[in-house]
Amino acid sequence: MSLIQSKKHKDILLNISKSLNKKYDHEFNLSVSDGFTVTCRSGNVESIEHHQDTFMSVTVYSDYRKGSASTNSLSEESISSVIQKAENISKNTQPDKCQGLPRENYTKDESKDLEIYYPMDLKIEDVIDLANECESEAFKTDKRISNSEGSSFSYSTNQHILLNTKGAFGSFNSTDYNLSCIVLAKEKKSMERDYWYSSVRDFKKLESVKKIGNMAAKRTVSRLGAKNISTRVCPVIFSPEMSVSLISNFLSAINGEVIYKKSSFLLDKINEQIFPEFINIKEEPHLSNGSGTRPYDSEGVLTFKKDIIKNGLLKTYLLDTYSARKLKSKSTGNGVLTNIIIDSSDKLESNIISTLDDGIYITEMMGSGANILTGDYSRGAFGYLIKNGEIQYPVTGITVASNLVQMFKNIVSLGDDVDMRNRITSGSMMINDVTIGGSS
Amino acid sequence: MINIQNLILDNYDLSDSKIERVLSIACAKNIDFADIYFQYKNAESWTLEDGIVKNGSSSIDSGVGIRSVCDDKTGFAYSNDFNYKNLVSAANMSKCIVKHGGEKKIKIGEPQKIQKLYDSISPLELEKDDIKVKFLKDIELYIRNKDSRVDQVIINISASYDSILVINTDGIKEFDERPLVRFNVMVILKEKNRREKGSAGGGGRYPYKNIINTNLGYEFADEALRQADVNLNAVECKAGSMTVVLGPGWPGVLLHEAIGHGLEGDFNRKKTSAFADLMGTKVASEQCTIIDDGTISQRRGSLSIDDEGCPTQYNTLIRKGILEGYMQDKLNAKLMKTKPTGNGRRESYACLPMPRMTNTFMLPGKFEPSEIIKSVKNGIYAVNFSGGQVDITNGQFVFTASEAYKILNGKVESPIKGMTLIGNGPEVLKKVSMVGNDLKLDDGVGTCGKDGQSVPVGVGQPTLKIDEITVGGTQV
Repeated sequence: MSLIQSKKHKDILLNISKSLNKKYDHEFNLSVSDGFTVTCRSGNVESIEHHQDTFMSVTVYSDYRKGSASTNSLSEESISSVIQKAENISKNTQPDKCQGLPRENYTKDESKDLEIYYPMDLKIEDVIDLANECESEAFKTDKRISNSEGSSFSYSTNQHILLNTKGAFGSFNSTDYNLSCIVLAKEKKSMERDYWYSSVRDFKKLESVKKIGNMAAKRTVSRLGAKNISTRVCPVIFSPEMSVSLISNFLSAINGEVIYKKSSFLLDKINEQIFPEFINIKEEPHLSNGSGTRPYDSEGVLTFKKDIIKNGLLKTYLLDTYSARKLKSKSTGNGVLTNIIIDSSDKLESNIISTLDDGIYITEMMGSGANILTGDYSRGAFGYLIKNGEIQYPVTGITVASNLVQMFKNIVSLGDDVDMRNRITSGSMMINDVTIGGSS
Repeated sequence: MINIQNLILDNYDLSDSKIERVLSIACAKNIDFADIYFQYKNAESWTLEDGIVKNGSSSIDSGVGIRSVCDDKTGFAYSNDFNYKNLVSAANMSKCIVKHGGEKKIKIGEPQKIQKLYDSISPLELEKDDIKVKFLKDIELYIRNKDSRVDQVIINISASYDSILVINTDGIKEFDERPLVRFNVMVILKEKNRREKGSAGGGGRYPYKNIINTNLGYEFADEALRQADVNLNAVECKAGSMTVVLGPGWPGVLLHEAIGHGLEGDFNRKKTSAFADLMGTKVASEQCTIIDDGTISQRRGSLSIDDEGCPTQYNTLIRKGILEGYMQDKLNAKLMKTKPTGNGRRESYACLPMPRMTNTFMLPGKFEPSEIIKSVKNGIYAVNFSGGQVDITNGQFVFTASEAYKILNGKVESPIKGMTLIGNGPEVLKKVSMVGNDLKLDDGVGTCGKDGQSVPVGVGQPTLKIDEITVGGTQV
């Protein structure tokens, strides 16, 4: 996206804001993104997709009534029609004193380099080679790699602009580069598939094709010959990706919306012990190169650094303007979630698997079995049996069940194998007393 | 009413000859076929929570996608601006999948006479906003009055109108106007210090009045209350391998996950599915015949034509236990030297079509449901599920129950909570020992995700018994 276009979009919004019906408060969110995805499979290009997306949403408030509408077209006609639509909807919704634009701590377009915007003039031919090499590295890694779902490279540049009629105005740009590889391995009757990827803001920080191809192949091959095991209660190590999944359940349960709806198992738990004392969870919205980095949230409220869990205690719920008013509190700038970091005040384990005598290492979970209302947790899983600190063999067809309240309390250690690709970053977690269901 | 013809083609002066020109550009030398997909979609949603209808939202999404296919290679570009110049530039981007230039002369065809499975209406325009709001308030009042333990009620009604036109270089030119309505109610009951939820809902390709002017909304409200009440008394579930009886209707999500995805053409062409090379072999017990049928009138998963302009069909996937058919889109059918089956679907103009399911279900068998339950000494009766997932390569699938009971000596006993089933697709249906005579389709709630694309689908099945499957729970 060129700078000229970027200015064009700001001007569109500034122009609209001059001719609005003053009876309403308006909020506009505009995002524009441009890019492409190239997928190669079996050494050939499989698809080239060009992306060009526009999304504009309008939220209006009038006498505490709310209406929203969105469009993907920025023509004058479409814009005035969505504004009209949002205003019409607000005539039919019911008043609620908590509705309305944020009154403080909002963005005023202080331009700041967030170090998440690294545009490049990338040629499709160049990235075709990257994707092809990545796949071929995977095939080279192990003879049992038998097939591929391909290797994909994608690039996008994104622009976000926010404006409201109480004076909030902000914009920021970002770029995303992603390279992934999915391969299959076969041995006897066993066929498995796994993947690896790198996802960054700056092309220069992308992991090497060799590393991505290698990792995809090793992960896939390690799954071959998986066995069924018997039902047991044991310590479980959750891989960094699976730990992120558990932490995202925690974050869903402290979101203002489920709190004011009384739909969370973490209702009324501020300053209570949720995790063991050594666990700290922080939000860091302005991390350089962060995948969740942004200066303000979806309502234009400035994001800020905060402790969510300190020494195991819950320090805050995550509130947007509406849920804050419902809970008689202040917005925490969490109309969106930014970067979340899980850390330990103890030393991070450098080889967490070696510290487990007898248990399971879980690398994949399936199904939607996390109940945020009760904390009940029950999902299907794939993993590895661990004995005396070493992986014995892969296990399949197992289930993981517990309650999130217990699981969080039963965390015994964190690994230093932190996965930096997600907006939530965590290393592996060892959790005691998890029920593993098996078939034999 | 606004549709593709008047809103896009007329408005942007896109005559047949101009579209032919765009397709000619997209169809460079060596390109096997190209298509252009116009879409205009209008959707809205109204939600009641905390006793009031707090918010309504509406969206308009329109655009055009152009695809060029050469062997197994696909070039694709889209735009949300319908100006001829933009279409030409998208066509040029799309054909860059081949290095050769050149153009093919294209003549586009006329729409065929295709049976419409739903009316060409926009539910959004047919009902006034204040009626939708009043309906939500009426249902909530009903729920609050019915049970004093109600702690939270969230009710949503939403609809969309999706108008599409697909034109391809083989002479296909088809319009389709697709209405879709969805209603959902979620209640939380509180008793002593325990809170549990129940939810129910449904919908289809029809106007709002099919829900608002009928008893359906109240029936779903009753069902949500009943489920929450059951869950208030649910006890922890034992983990391990056991016999499971699945109730009729929505538990058909089992077929969708365990079997359906594995039989989609793309995975089998690439041989990444656990079902690849199993055509003609036994993959289920003789009692199992499984169908994917996109032609059922007004169903959520139905389409008069798929997103490549092919009429949908009644496709037999498994007949008496033998694998008989895959679901195909145009690209995969061509590469596998077979015919498209009307399963080429895409989430929108901005996504590529893939083989996708429509309404997937098992035909009824001979047993009375009560007979099936009576036959179980020690097992589980699962009647509602919150969703599932599958790994198509190793065949492993999971689905999670939202309502289930213990069965002891042929009798349904106490409800259990937090139960997950895990099994292997090509194996699980071999263990189906009894199929009921009570085929039921779900109420119209399913959404299926694949490669980041969501499409509405349906599932269904009669009561059935699986002799042995792994159940996840907290108790040992």
